Amino acid sequence: MSEENWIEVGTTDSIEEEDLIRFDHQDKTFCVYKLTDGFYATDGICTHEAVHLEDGLVMDDEIECPMHQGIFNIKSGEALSPPACEDLKTYPVKVDNDKIFIKID
Amino acid sequence: MKNNIIILGGGQAGIYAAREIRQNDSKSNIKILGKENLLPYERPPLSKDFLLDKKKEEDLYFHSSEVLKNENIEFENISINKVDFENKKLFSKNDNVYSYDSLLISTGSENKKLTLDNNLKNDIYYLRNLEEAKKIKEIVSNKNKITIIGGGFIGLEIASSLSQLQKKVIVIEIGNQLMGRIIPKQIADLVQNTHIEHGNEIILNKQIEKITKKNGDYEILLNDNSLIETDFIIAGIGSTPTVKLFENTNLKLDNGIVTNQFCETSIKDVYAAGDVSNFYHPFYERNMRLESYQHAQNHGICAGKNIAGVKTEYTSIPWMWSDQFNLNLQLTGICDEYDEIIERGNDINNGVIYFFLKNNKIRGACGVGIIGKVGRDIRITSKLTEKDTIVDKQILSDQNLKLNKLIQK
Repeated sequence: MSEENWIEVGTTDSIEEEDLIRFDHQDKTFCVYKLTDGFYATDGICTHEAVHLEDGLVMDDEIECPMHQGIFNIKSGEALSPPACEDLKTYPVKVDNDKIFIKID
Repeated sequence: MKNNIIILGGGQAGIYAAREIRQNDSKSNIKILGKENLLPYERPPLSKDFLLDKKKEEDLYFHSSEVLKNENIEFENISINKVDFENKKLFSKNDNVYSYDSLLISTGSENKKLTLDNNLKNDIYYLRNLEEAKKIKEIVSNKNKITIIGGGFIGLEIASSLSQLQKKVIVIEIGNQLMGRIIPKQIADLVQNTHIEHGNEIILNKQIEKITKKNGDYEILLNDNSLIETDFIIAGIGSTPTVKLFENTNLKLDNGIVTNQFCETSIKDVYAAGDVSNFYHPFYERNMRLESYQHAQNHGICAGKNIAGVKTEYTSIPWMWSDQFNLNLQLTGICDEYDEIIERGNDINNGVIYFFLKNNKIRGACGVGIIGKVGRDIRITSKLTEKDTIVDKQILSDQNLKLNKLIQK
């Protein structure tokens, strides 16, 4: 994998624990989360209807869509509760010198 | 022991119950009897994305026939017209007999119809199922000025969709506000403004005196003698639980089938779930009947557990939504038992929520905003309600303060 796939999305203090930030890159939107055991990233749009997950609720390891309460596991992207049935894409995350990077394919 | 489990009603509650039973019971026969010749499908998109052609029929099914086959759940398209609870049998029109050990009734609800002259009965359209949605979609493509009778969720969602299809839409509501049965007036007024901004005409406080057919179009006479000319009429004036089949039986009925917190009816081994059930809610300590997506799903799951022998109380805090134009409206809990109302926000762009409190605890809340703006707070509110938390009203009323601070872990 080439190094340029890692995109800087912000600093570690830019996200509160059990919260997320939205990150837009080119024409795509991502969500980057801070959970108790580290940082995670997923696509930023719900797979059910095109709504931004940035306004959703992060609880434990789950993100809940603000529109219809579809729930996804943040770590695996798995759709856990209808109306969401299609999994959310996840992305690798690394932290280097307090900066968060996600790897976009 | 192998049991015969029959689920009467092929909607959302039925399918979720069936799959939940199977998760807990690999042996019993599970059969869903559905009135529509379709596998269980999602209804919310019918008035919105399906009319707007953003979703197709194939997008609506909860599960494919493969999933049902893999889980050994049978689905049969049949109308039942007689029930014998004593001998645990159901009879179809052509005298097929279905014997059960456990029965779940999930027959849902049906649209109330306008009382009209017989010669107009086929002229007024209603929307509940896919077939009706298909018909409406086809017909409105050739219509321009459409009248919706009833300013509730379904009528307003259709009004929003038709407006987006560039139709002239008039909504006639008998009450003094939209969605008056459950939504606070302040929120209803915000929704009404959005409809008006998009060109829809909203007529409140008016009754229909007469509808007359004229050269294929219609004239609607209102009780103030005003006349509305229109070329298509859709009515959404509420619904009633589908219980006709049980009217002369021992099954206890009162605004639906009366059930306890375990989805059990007054008859042993007979359960009810979803729209048709008037269930006891232990948190609110009263019976209620709900017509919503979340309830149909969760109540079906709860019934499934109980039928499979996993005794489970139904304690889900009610939640529902409506999408109209770029607005998402959400309701949680119940909003008719309160001693205090607290308002959060006043701009629809950031979301507006009304909390209904009793003894400093939230009993329910209703919010509306541009899509995405109220969901998180409403969800947190459901959790606060469920946990019976005494809330800090300062945080509730200040949109700059995050509500998740109120959740005690």
